[in-house]
Amino acid sequence: MSKANKLVCVVDDDQSVRRGLGRLLKSAGYAPETFSSAEDYLAREIFEGSICLVLDVRMPGLKGPGLQEALEKRGACEQIVFLTGHGDVPTATRAMKKGAVDFLTKPFDDEELILAVKRALERAEEQLRRRGERREARRRIEKLTPREFEVFRFVIIGLLNKQIAAELHTAEKTIKVHRGRVMQKLGVTSVPDLVRISQRAGVSPARHAA
Amino acid sequence: MRAIAQPLDGGMSSRAGSEQGRLDYYRPFFAALLVFAAYYLGAKIGFALTFRPHPVSVLWPPNSILLAALLLTPVRIWWVLLLAAFPAHLAAQLQSNVPPTMILCWFISNSCEALIGAACVRYLIDGPVRFNRLGNVGIFICFAAFLAPFLSSFVDAAFVTINHWGEDSYWQVWRIRFTSNILAALTLVPLIVTWVADGLAWLGKIRRARFLEAALLLLALLSVNTIVFYKLGTTADSALLYLPLPLLIWAAVRFGSRGASAAICTLTFLAIWSAGHGYGPFSTRSAEENALSIQMFLIVMSVPLLLLAAVIEERSKGALTLHEREERISLAAESGDLAFWTIDFERKEAWMSEKGRAIFNFGSDEPLSRELFLSRVHPEDRKIVDEAIDRARASSQTFELEYRLLRPDGETRWLISRGRYGHNDRGGVRELIGVAIDVTAQVNANLQLRLQREEMARMSRMSSMGELTASLAHELNQPLSAIASNAAAGRRFLAQSSPELKMFDELLADVAADARRAGDIIHGIHDFMRKSEGTRRLVNLNEIILEVLRLLHSDLLGRGTAVETRLGPSLPSVDADPVQLQQVLLNLLMNSLESMQSTPAAKRRILISTDCEADSSVVTSVRDYGGGLPEEDMDKVFTHFYSTKPNGMGMGLTIVRSIIEAHGGKLWAENVDEGARFFFTVPVTRKSETREVA
Repeated sequence: MSKANKLVCVVDDDQSVRRGLGRLLKSAGYAPETFSSAEDYLAREIFEGSICLVLDVRMPGLKGPGLQEALEKRGACEQIVFLTGHGDVPTATRAMKKGAVDFLTKPFDDEELILAVKRALERAEEQLRRRGERREARRRIEKLTPREFEVFRFVIIGLLNKQIAAELHTAEKTIKVHRGRVMQKLGVTSVPDLVRISQRAGVSPARHAA
Repeated sequence: MRAIAQPLDGGMSSRAGSEQGRLDYYRPFFAALLVFAAYYLGAKIGFALTFRPHPVSVLWPPNSILLAALLLTPVRIWWVLLLAAFPAHLAAQLQSNVPPTMILCWFISNSCEALIGAACVRYLIDGPVRFNRLGNVGIFICFAAFLAPFLSSFVDAAFVTINHWGEDSYWQVWRIRFTSNILAALTLVPLIVTWVADGLAWLGKIRRARFLEAALLLLALLSVNTIVFYKLGTTADSALLYLPLPLLIWAAVRFGSRGASAAICTLTFLAIWSAGHGYGPFSTRSAEENALSIQMFLIVMSVPLLLLAAVIEERSKGALTLHEREERISLAAESGDLAFWTIDFERKEAWMSEKGRAIFNFGSDEPLSRELFLSRVHPEDRKIVDEAIDRARASSQTFELEYRLLRPDGETRWLISRGRYGHNDRGGVRELIGVAIDVTAQVNANLQLRLQREEMARMSRMSSMGELTASLAHELNQPLSAIASNAAAGRRFLAQSSPELKMFDELLADVAADARRAGDIIHGIHDFMRKSEGTRRLVNLNEIILEVLRLLHSDLLGRGTAVETRLGPSLPSVDADPVQLQQVLLNLLMNSLESMQSTPAAKRRILISTDCEADSSVVTSVRDYGGGLPEEDMDKVFTHFYSTKPNGMGMGLTIVRSIIEAHGGKLWAENVDEGARFFFTVPVTRKSETREVA
C-alpha cells in the first residue's frame, strides 16, 4: 500500500503539542495534517483513504469524544488514538468501547504513539477494504429484478429449485431461469459464492415458510 | 351413706352457677330448674338430719343452697331463682303436716337470710365470689354465715311464735335456727361455690398423682370419721374428736378451698348422721344439747380451716403470678439489654438479673456490693456515679444517670441507669430498685456518625487540594508532552539521515519555549496561593495542629499510628490562612503515614512539635519513623513531579512549599534516625507576609 492512500491528522488545541506531535509523526515517515479544533477537522474535505486521528480529549468547543460521535454519524472510517492530559478512566473506557484504537496519557512515550498510529492506519485500511467489497456486492445486487432478488434470497438459504417454486407459487422451470440470470448478473458460478456476496452486501436471507 | 351422697347433691344444685358463664338464652331457666331440684332435695335432707323430736334441723341445707345459687348468679335473675325455690319449699314442707301460713312464713324468713347474705357478699366483694382469698372468706363468714342467719332468725322466731308452732320459746327458736343455719352456710356454701363456680373443666387437667392423693385423703377421712363418730361409742375420750383435724389440714394445704370445703362437708354429715342415730360422742345428752354441741364443734372446726385454705390459695396464686411476672421481666431484660437490680438496705443484700451480671461482667454468684459496682464504672465517671447515688438516697427521688463501664475484660460500655428508692413502713429507705440499659450500640453509632462527618470535612479539604493538583497536572502536561515529542522527533531525524538544520533550530526553539511555559505555570501556583490571602487571621499553630489531628484521627487509628505532640507553651500567634496551614500539616502527616507503611506497627509513630524561634517565627516539625528520604535526592524532594510514591504526582510538597513561602516561611527536611523530619517556619511579624519568590 502506498502512503498516498493514508493520512494522519492531529487535533489538539495546544499549538506546541500540535507542532511537537507533527514533528514526531513526520520523523516516523508520515505527512501529518494538524488541526486546532474538532470543528476545523470536520470542515476538511472527506479523505477517501485510511485515516488515523490523534485526538486530544480536553479541548475547547467540541471535545475529543464529541468528535468521535460526530464522525461515527458521518459514517467515516477514521481510526482514533486519544491523548489525554489526565488519565480519567471513565472517559477512556467509553472511548475504547466506541472503537478508539488507543488511549494515551500525556506525556506519552513516542514509540507507543507511533505504534498506535500504525495500528490505527492498518485498521482503517482493513475497514476501507471491507467497505469497498460491500459496495461492489451491493452494486451488483442492485442489478437484479425484484423477482430475481427474491429467488436469490431463497437460493442462499440452500433451497432447491423445486422448493423455491413451491414457496413462490410458480413453475420449477421459471425458477431455473431466474437462478441462471442471478448467477450471471452477480458474476458467480456457485452457490457458496452467492452466499459470500449476500453476506458482504448484508442481504438478509429469506424466511423459509415450511 | 346418705351423708356422702349429700355434697354431690349440693353440687348438682348449683350447676346453675356454672351455667352462668355461658351467654345462653335458656340459662335462667336451667338455673331455676336446678335451684328447684336442689332446694327440694336439700329440704328433704334437712328433715332427715333433724334430731327427733326437735322441730329444727341440726343442719338446714335449703337456705344455703339458695344462698350459693344467689352468689353465683347475676342479680337480675335472682327473682327467677326465688320463684323456683318457692314450689320446692311448698312441695317439701307440705309433706310434713305444717300449716300453710307457717310454710309461707318460713319461706319468707329463709329467702330473707339468703338475700341478706348474698347481697352483702356481692356488694363487698369485687368480681366473682371465690373462696381463694382471705378477704373474701372473711367477708363471707362475717356477713353470709353469721350476720344473715343472725338477722333472719329474729324474723323466723317471730313467725314461729305468731303462728304458735311448737312449744319452744322465742329465744329458743331463735338460738336453734341461728346455729343450724350458720353451720349450713359454713358447710355447704363454700362446697357449692368452690366446686361449681369454675365449671368442671379443671378436673381434666389434674394429674393422676393428685387423684390418688385425693382418693387416699377421702378414704382416710371416712375411716377416721367413722371410727371417731360411730365406732368408738359414747364414752370415748373427747380428745379423740380432734383426730380428723390433721386430715382436714391436709385437705386445706394440699387441695385449697375445694379440698377444705369437701373435707368439712364429709366431717359434718358423718358427725350429724352418727349423732342423729345415737352413736358417737354427741349422742349422750338431750337432742337439743347434742345438736348445739355438734354445731359448735363443727363451726369451730370450719372457720379456721376455710381461712387457712384461702390463705394457702392466695399464697400459691401470688407465687404463680410473681413467677409469671419475673418471666416476662426477664424476657424484656434479655431482649432489651436491660439489667435489673435491687439493693435491700435492711437486709444488706443486692440482687442483679443474669443479663445485668453479663453486662457488668459479674460472676453469677459473685456477691454484689457498692464497691464492686463502682469498680466496674469507668474511672472518669466513678465520682459522678458515686455522688449521684448518695444524692438520690438523700432526696429519696427517682434518678437517671448515664455513665460508662470499664470492664475487667477491657471493654467499655455505655449505660443509662434509672432507679427508684422504696420506702419501709416507717418512711425510711428500704431498698433501691433500678434498671440499667446498655446503650453502647447506640452510642457507638453516634460516634461513628461523628467520625463520618469529620471524614467528610477532611475529604472536602483533601479534594480541593486534589483538584488543584489535577488542573496543574493538565496544564503542565501540555508543554511537557510537546517537549517530549520534539525531543523524540529530533532523535529520530538524527538517526535517519542528514538532518535539516533549520528544522532542528525550530525544534529546539519550541522545546525552550515549552520549558519556559512550564516554569510559568509553576509560578502561577504561587499566585494562586496568594489569592486566598484574604482569609488570613491571627492563628495559633498549636490549635491548628490539634484540629488536623482530630481530622486525621480515623486515619491514624486505621494505620495504627501513635501521634505524640510536644507543643510549645505560650506560642505566639501567627498571621496566616488557617485552612492553608491545615493543608500543609495534612500533607506532611499523610506523607509521614505513607512513608511508614512498611514500618512495623509497634514503631509507627509521628512526633509533632512546635517552638518559638527567637520570637520572630514559629517552627513546626513533623517527624516520622518511615524509610527516610533518599540521601542523594534530598534537595529534589520539594521540586515538582518528584515522588518516591508509586502513584504520587509529586505535587504535594511543592504545594506545601508554595504555601509556606507565600506565608513568608521556610520549609526543609532532614533525615534522622529511622525516619525523616520536616520543618516549616511561619513568621510572627506581619511584615514577613510580603511576597517572596521561591
